[in-house]
Amino acid sequence: MFKKVLVANRGEIALRIIRACKELGIRTVAIHSEADANGLHVRAADERVCVGPAEDSLSYRNIPNVLSAAEITGAEAVHPGYGFLSENAHFAEVCESIGLKFIGPTSENIALMGDKAKARDIIARRGLPVLPGSPGELRSEQEALDAARKIGFPVIIKASAGGGGRGMRVVNKDDELVRAFQAAQAEAKSTFGNEGVYLERYFIEPRHIEAQILADERGRVVFLGERDCSIQRRYQKLVEESPSPAVDERLRREIARVATEAVRSVHYRNAGTVEFLLDKDQKFYFMEVNARIQVEHPVTEMVTGIDLIKEQIRIAAGLPLGFKQQDIKLNGHSFECRINAEDPDKFTPCPGQITRYHPPGGLGVRVDSAMETQATVVPYYDSMIAKLITHGQDRDEAMARMRRALDEFVIEGIKTTIPLHKRIFNDAEFQKGRVSTGFLERFLANSAG
Amino acid sequence: MSKPKTRMRSKKLVPRQGTWPDPAGRRGEPDAARNGLSGDQQKAIQSLIDLLKGNNLCELEVERGGWRIRLRRDVSGQQVLQAVRETTPPVSESPAELVAAQPVAETGGMVTVRSPIVGTFYRSPSPDADPYVEEGDQVKKGQVLCIVEAMKLMNEIESEVDGRIVKILAESTKPVEYGQPLFLIDPTQAA
Repeated sequence: MFKKVLVANRGEIALRIIRACKELGIRTVAIHSEADANGLHVRAADERVCVGPAEDSLSYRNIPNVLSAAEITGAEAVHPGYGFLSENAHFAEVCESIGLKFIGPTSENIALMGDKAKARDIIARRGLPVLPGSPGELRSEQEALDAARKIGFPVIIKASAGGGGRGMRVVNKDDELVRAFQAAQAEAKSTFGNEGVYLERYFIEPRHIEAQILADERGRVVFLGERDCSIQRRYQKLVEESPSPAVDERLRREIARVATEAVRSVHYRNAGTVEFLLDKDQKFYFMEVNARIQVEHPVTEMVTGIDLIKEQIRIAAGLPLGFKQQDIKLNGHSFECRINAEDPDKFTPCPGQITRYHPPGGLGVRVDSAMETQATVVPYYDSMIAKLITHGQDRDEAMARMRRALDEFVIEGIKTTIPLHKRIFNDAEFQKGRVSTGFLERFLANSAG
Repeated sequence: MSKPKTRMRSKKLVPRQGTWPDPAGRRGEPDAARNGLSGDQQKAIQSLIDLLKGNNLCELEVERGGWRIRLRRDVSGQQVLQAVRETTPPVSESPAELVAAQPVAETGGMVTVRSPIVGTFYRSPSPDADPYVEEGDQVKKGQVLCIVEAMKLMNEIESEVDGRIVKILAESTKPVEYGQPLFLIDPTQAA
């Protein structure tokens, strides 16, 4: 087991990783930018190293400084969290070459999964259900047009190197395709530096279902249930739950089979999430693999009882998984609300000082956050400041707990999206579990009226 | 160590005590008995601090008669005010001349050389060689002051100013982080 781990991240996920390390008896090194010098994650760690100014490309994503911090502190492993360097194949590769263990998948896994068109292609060749789409990147307008006609409209054009909902275009008709293709290429080039695009069938009102898997270094793969992340605004998730109200036991077994076979086929290691779209007819299609631990991992932890971060660390340390697939049981139901420092109506970021912070408590309530009274939310990073997670014996109890916990949660001095979450959890359609990825946009449009 | 001439006064620094009032009012009004300023002087300084903050300046230098004050504000989040004052006579009532200076890492006229990377600090090019500089040495802009080694790469840190090494702030062979102070240089006035 490692003696010292460097946490290459900040905020709530850095704190989460530090907590897991402490429980495993591992010493921790926190890195921070100058803006985060007083952050809770820094004070929670055993050692600290300032790696740069506020701007993340010069600090948290500054590979030489991060590696140097590991060197001067003698860290044996680095956990990248999510975002920042977590899916940077080059960083993972450099770690491998200098003998610093990267707690996550291999650099090849990351590189492959980062090329979304290629990943889809490999999965399709295994005979697994893949979103109907172009077989790889589209190299010409004619190729794009042929592919779209074959797949059937409406289609969506996506950037190969893209993510986070950026660089996507929906095309409804034949005669709009060429122009949309050209625009998508230009946008992909300017946003991601790579103009490669591919296209997929566009589903109206699908559900976003994702499967959590763990794979140890012996190649043993375990499926830990699915999460439903359909509550999204502009492709950013706001609320997640596990299990999905749209997935029955038979469908779950199918999803498990496809997800585990997909990751086995690419020799995937450590934690990963296989994303699917579920259409109205209960047919699901592989979309992509997120080669990292995800923001919403807590809902899986609540229903399975497995500490995913500890498992990541154990796997990286070469230990076999301590459980088999038949040991995994999904108990009860869990929700997560992502609380952002944003105006709950306009979604504009609201950094500033938190004058009073009091998180909710009680049975079945968990808060993952690095915030506290007098903490300052700085404007340089993601606006998510807390994750409120609840668990109940069934979906109704988990929802009632979330409503109760949202009422108790005090964050004063800045605006947060707590009021929006309260409205979502009081919505009848949401309560019935009848939501799809179009739900939130419609919900917001109706509320604005 | 030879005593500097005109710069000696500016060595009377208060930054480490942090007794200047914080514009956000968290530390409250300064105690006159502690810092030796009259009520009028404190009010004058407070209005300068407000000016600094209100106009989002990083640095302000004011000269009134025989009295000079420089205020520096760290705009990367934490407001740290450092001020230096020349010797008395007390402030006159004439309007102040305000000079908005560059956001340079200065401490009462001194220049602090900070590490631009994370690594290990070495005062000499190799274990048996002489150190690049000693306290009291005159250095020129561009002159190598030290090495910060990171991942087996030796990075030479150069001086940004002409001046004299007043103090060496880091210990050779020890790790340093980004922004860690390495040298205090007393910059020479331009000829």
